[in-house]
Amino acid sequence: MIGFDGTIPFVGLFVLFIVLGFYGKYWRRGDLNHVHEWSLAGRRLGTALVFFLIGADIYTAYTFVAIPSGVFAKGSLYFFAIPYVGLTFGVALVTMPRLWSLSREKGYITASDFVKDRFSSKILSILIAMTGIISLLPYIALQIVGMKSVLTVMLSGTANSNTVEEISLLIAFVILAAFTYTSGLRGATLTAVFKDILIWITVIALIVVVPLSIGGGGGFATAFKNVKNQTYITVSESLVPGYTTLVLGSALALYLYPHAINGVLSSESAQKLRTSTALLPLYGVGLAIMALMGILVYAVPSAMNFLSHFPESSRGILVVPSLILYTMPGWFSGIALLGIFVGGLVPAAIMAMSQASLLTRNIIKEIKPNMPASSEIRITKISSTAFKFVALGFVFIVPATYAISLQLLGGILIVQILPAVFFGLYVKSSLRKEPLIVGLLVGIFSGIYMVEYTNNFGALTSSLFHTTFGSLYVAVIALVFNLIISFGGSAIMNKKRLLSYGEGSSQ
Amino acid sequence: MKNKRRYVILALLILIPSIVNLSVSLYNRNMPELFGMPFFYWFQTLWLVCCSGFYLGFAYLMRGGAGEGRGGDSYKNDWI
Repeated sequence: MIGFDGTIPFVGLFVLFIVLGFYGKYWRRGDLNHVHEWSLAGRRLGTALVFFLIGADIYTAYTFVAIPSGVFAKGSLYFFAIPYVGLTFGVALVTMPRLWSLSREKGYITASDFVKDRFSSKILSILIAMTGIISLLPYIALQIVGMKSVLTVMLSGTANSNTVEEISLLIAFVILAAFTYTSGLRGATLTAVFKDILIWITVIALIVVVPLSIGGGGGFATAFKNVKNQTYITVSESLVPGYTTLVLGSALALYLYPHAINGVLSSESAQKLRTSTALLPLYGVGLAIMALMGILVYAVPSAMNFLSHFPESSRGILVVPSLILYTMPGWFSGIALLGIFVGGLVPAAIMAMSQASLLTRNIIKEIKPNMPASSEIRITKISSTAFKFVALGFVFIVPATYAISLQLLGGILIVQILPAVFFGLYVKSSLRKEPLIVGLLVGIFSGIYMVEYTNNFGALTSSLFHTTFGSLYVAVIALVFNLIISFGGSAIMNKKRLLSYGEGSSQ
Repeated sequence: MKNKRRYVILALLILIPSIVNLSVSLYNRNMPELFGMPFFYWFQTLWLVCCSGFYLGFAYLMRGGAGEGRGGDSYKNDWI
């Protein structure tokens, strides 16, 4: 349990966080009744702000909770997150500035806007919007799981800790909903900078303090000796294909998530976007440090002892918060724990906003095309609030460990929009809307089937599917099916058209 | 000809870091250790910094394209 000296900085900084969130409304004033002003902060963010905003999008509770948790429980396999972030920004550099330029020219706010215009297909655009919305739900739930783990560690040992925890989460979400409603992405950006500062202070403190607190000839040496297991030192030969495809699949998926694209489109220029994207792998060093905590904790007896009071399946998500509590002075643990707490809250806000844009612009507006702009912004704001509470309800119902596994499913779904969005940026005539629709559906359903099959239709614990090439990440296998159908089907259609029009009259 | 060379360099600036990230067998080893950390862990962490270097090179070569919005060329007020 956290003492009084830790509670004061935690609460004090949370109040500052709220003030920043509401102040966002007045920052770089714009007419917030326009969708692009509300959800893209008027497309006026420079290099540093895009860096912080996308950094906040990407380095989330997934980083601070899910990855250390995986390294703690399963070892080096979960270190795949590090080459994954190294790779994903290369993917972003090739695709995102082009999407930015097209969006600026044609006024797109979402990837679905682009796809609808590019392939003149309402069905494809609606399907892509739905995929985006659904794949983000478990992602938001994961943020809440991360926030919950902070509260669990802070409140452990107090009376009624469960009730206090749920009430605290509810209050945090009401506040979050209120300031995103009034300030839009401006509020999220300001709080993202605040969150990033706290996270970096925490990361640096952790990497200095934890190894020192272990002592005895270097913290890492002791920790790696304590785990005494080869799976914590390197990846076993049989898992190399899995590791490689987890890196590839995750890297391809990240910039297809609606919240990542939302961050990209809020940039002021394509060049500023490139510079900030090129710098983002550096943020991954913080992720690597957090991941290593999953191993260092084995050499911190007080934290291990604390973790042993919890069921084995929920120990992983408590690794980082409990290390903070047991190695840092009380006042500092308050600051660091708040960093992790808002580290889940800010991304949750941005994700819910991008879900809302998709729902309003790409689904409701397709059905009711004559909707006035004032209703569009109102529905966007209200649905962004609704999505936050759907995810919160999800966390109260579904156990925490289950929520992390569901996030893997999110990645499998979202990567299926790759042929239309990434290839759509560069090729036009060799992709047709009908095969893209079929490919998307086959990718999604084969992906879900493979995940269910590999987990024996029970609780989701693995996302690797056994093939003759070894165990591969399901997202990559399903994407291959999808690509074959999209390109193969389009080639067949184009050839048929060529034949029926006769030579010379076709393009 | 000059344009072709530029494209090759641009492609390499993305491909080299990407291929290393995906070549697991290249870094899937224990030795040499750094501060008691197996090679596997410290190499991948250090490689992130190298990735940023390659990507900054890419961003620099791509600067100043047409239709890229305000501030595409100049570095004035570039950071906020």
